[in-house]
Amino acid sequence: MNEQPLNLKRLHPTRHGRTAHGLLAALAIVALLLLLSVLLPLVWEALPALTAPFLWGKGQGAIGPEVLNTLSLVGGSELLSFPLALLVGLYRVEWVKSQGPLLRVFDQFATTMLSVPSIVIGLVVVDVAIARWHWPVSTMTGIVALALMNWPLSVAYVVEALQQIPGRYREGSWALGASRWQTVRYLILPLAWPQMVEQAGLATARLMGETAVLIYTAGVNAAVHWSLWGPGESLAVHLWLLRTEGVGQNAQAQAAATGVVLLAFVVLVLWGSKRMAQWLKNA
Amino acid sequence: MRADRWAQGIFQAAFGLFIAVWTVFLAVIAVGAWHFVVINGWITPLLSTHWSPLAGHYGMLAFILGSITVTALALILAAPWVLALAVAGGRILRGTMQQTFIQLLTVFVAVPSVIYGWWGLTIIVPLVRRLSGTSGFGPLSAGVVLALMIVPTFSIMALHAVRQVPSALVEGSLALGATDDQTLWHMVLPSAWPALAQAFLVAVGRALGETIAVQMVIGGQSRLTSLLKPSATLTSQLLTDLALMPPKTPGHDALDFMAIWLVLLMAVLVGLQYRMRRGLRG
Amino acid sequence: MVEKRLTKREGVSTILDIRVQELEVWYGPAKALENVSLHLEQGAVLALIGPSGCGKSTFLRVLNRMIDQVPTVRVKGSVHIGAFNVLDDDIDVTALRRTVGMVFQQPNPFPMTIFDNVAYGPRLAGVRSATKLRQIVEDSLKKSALWDEVRGKLRRSAMTLSGGQQQRLCMARALAVHPHVLLLDEPTASLDPVSTAKIEELIVQFKGRYTMVIVTHNLQQAARVSDLVAFFEQGHLVEMGPTHDIFTAPQERRTEEFLTGRFE
Ligand SMILES: Nc1ncnc2c1ncn2[C@@H]1O[C@H](COP(=O)(O)OP(=O)(O)OP(=O)(O)O)[C@@H](O)[C@H]1O
Ligand SMILES: [Mg+2]
Repeated sequence: MNEQPLNLKRLHPTRHGRTAHGLLAALAIVALLLLLSVLLPLVWEALPALTAPFLWGKGQGAIGPEVLNTLSLVGGSELLSFPLALLVGLYRVEWVKSQGPLLRVFDQFATTMLSVPSIVIGLVVVDVAIARWHWPVSTMTGIVALALMNWPLSVAYVVEALQQIPGRYREGSWALGASRWQTVRYLILPLAWPQMVEQAGLATARLMGETAVLIYTAGVNAAVHWSLWGPGESLAVHLWLLRTEGVGQNAQAQAAATGVVLLAFVVLVLWGSKRMAQWLKNA
Repeated sequence: MRADRWAQGIFQAAFGLFIAVWTVFLAVIAVGAWHFVVINGWITPLLSTHWSPLAGHYGMLAFILGSITVTALALILAAPWVLALAVAGGRILRGTMQQTFIQLLTVFVAVPSVIYGWWGLTIIVPLVRRLSGTSGFGPLSAGVVLALMIVPTFSIMALHAVRQVPSALVEGSLALGATDDQTLWHMVLPSAWPALAQAFLVAVGRALGETIAVQMVIGGQSRLTSLLKPSATLTSQLLTDLALMPPKTPGHDALDFMAIWLVLLMAVLVGLQYRMRRGLRG
Repeated sequence: MVEKRLTKREGVSTILDIRVQELEVWYGPAKALENVSLHLEQGAVLALIGPSGCGKSTFLRVLNRMIDQVPTVRVKGSVHIGAFNVLDDDIDVTALRRTVGMVFQQPNPFPMTIFDNVAYGPRLAGVRSATKLRQIVEDSLKKSALWDEVRGKLRRSAMTLSGGQQQRLCMARALAVHPHVLLLDEPTASLDPVSTAKIEELIVQFKGRYTMVIVTHNLQQAARVSDLVAFFEQGHLVEMGPTHDIFTAPQERRTEEFLTGRFE
């Protein structure tokens, strides 16, 4: 195209009749500032405690074990629940043919399960795994609890991603003689991956910060160890414990510092999944 | 074709496992709740406020009212900000600015609730204490923390609801000489209404189910006398009493009874959501 | 006050002419219209024809500033409709759009009752009186020849109407704010022949009462309803003249090629 001349005029939308829009925009800015006001004091209070021995040391108060526990809890539960969720979601969208009432019952059932308060999941895991099966309060128990939380949630976003792929793509593929599995494997999954990865990132970030379900399952103790059956206090639980029951003058700063580390992981996961989704989309 | 049969088998198995696990999950709560109901009946605990589980009194009314109060408060406090964020992100910002805005809100969705709880303990509770002369713990503080916590989730959903309004309707309205404000109130928001209501229901579920952020600032007393006095919600009480009444102790079944009500409430909310969704299509 | 203004304007029945001078429109880095100048007399019907993407809709959407909806748009030149300086920064867009009504390619009835659809514009313009509103709705539906089909069903959802009826409802809706200019962007493109004929009949009836600009891909339609024809190509106004002249003796070779289908 040819160069755009300089004497073009922008059309300014009239200010007339936009008062409410202006007010709402102002309110929105205040809302964003309010949200930021959660994070800024956190960072501020954390500064004195964000020291090398706190982050990497082995001594009293260092959060190395919590970081390790958080990573194994989140990693383990994703490893357990995401593949299962993928299978359930694929079956729900690609195999179930009827649009009947049973399908609606299943959808509502699954949605209800994803809205079950996390403490209720904690309660059931305590009832079953710890009381009946005599599992210890440990990383492993925490992994199961988190996986239970994550399963229906992941099913929901897998289903959503799959449903966004237009039906005519599938019909086109079947018309070429591809089987259902081939269609899923070579057409549907490659198309759905980017969105699923991004949503999985969001879900993983949420798991990182999950607290209520872990208090009685993974516990509130941590130690340096490499077993999944040992005490598994996560960063979020550590923060909760320090802030609600912590004593000592340093406890508050340490709580805030734990929060900053947790937040850093959350942002890292979000950013990483976003980049990966982008990469998958372009590949 | 063999791969197909294999695939179908595996998928079916996973699907079956999903249903089985969650049915067992519900059964575990239901059995506990059943034991509780057999001994205590089901209406008395809901109507009494006398909660001293070690002495065998299981009045849960204060927690139920606490949950309702805190949730209602949070939604009322959140509503104006949600509307503002949805309109700003859905109708005012365009293109990359809009994408950045949504990204920013998504980050806040992912901020752990324990951090919102931290903020409540560090900023809100002292503030309420200073303004009211009470301890600062109570439903008011919990409502404020919860409000801020659900704003990102709620407003992203509301934003998408507003954005989905067909531009044909918006342009139709503008072409008749309606101002942008008039178009917002008379066309955009009414057309987005079913989706907004769905977002609202999800937000209600979020608020009702939130545990940790509420537990940190509500004070943990089993009564509800004032917005400024320590009290409790169903979820926060579950959290604190699970330590007090581990499995196989007499009071433990009361927790299952509370849990089943929470699950039932969620089922009702989800049912309403699906009805709205169907209304949206039809 | 607004109500009074509406009534008064109707009584005076000023019809407005359209003057466009050296209009240029860009969408970001892409030019959509270049150096378009034309004059349209009061009450005349102008048909815009031309290949897809040549800028017909763009031209139309400049006339009622609907183009503002595209944030990247840039313009040059001047457009006057009666006393309105359309591209002026200080223009009252609301008043302009009430004066310059628009009907879209896809019928876009609002998801409300038939009555509320037609009453939407007047209500927002400040008409409160129920009798007055009923009067306006009835008049507008009569003008758009829909009254006989919907009388007694005004409380039904507009979505229950057929496509052709919906489009006439959109006409009625536009007429309800008493415009003097009507812009029609391929108003019959999604309609069946019978509905199309009804819309065309309306346009012919409206001649002299409203200044009209109609975009159409249907050359016969242009020949049937318009007084003047403008042929656009790649953002240029190639040729404009009386309908009869353009169809029988076009001045430009490109126009002739387009009209005879030898256009590539
Ligand atoms: N919102 C927009 N942003 C960027 N470019 C646009 C936009 N709208 C239209 N264009 C471009 O401007 C040019 C003219 O478009 P316009 O819609 O005016 O054509 P048209 O003559 O109405 O075509 P049709 O007959 O298909 O409706 C086209 O090249 C189109 O791609
Ligand atoms: Mg067009």
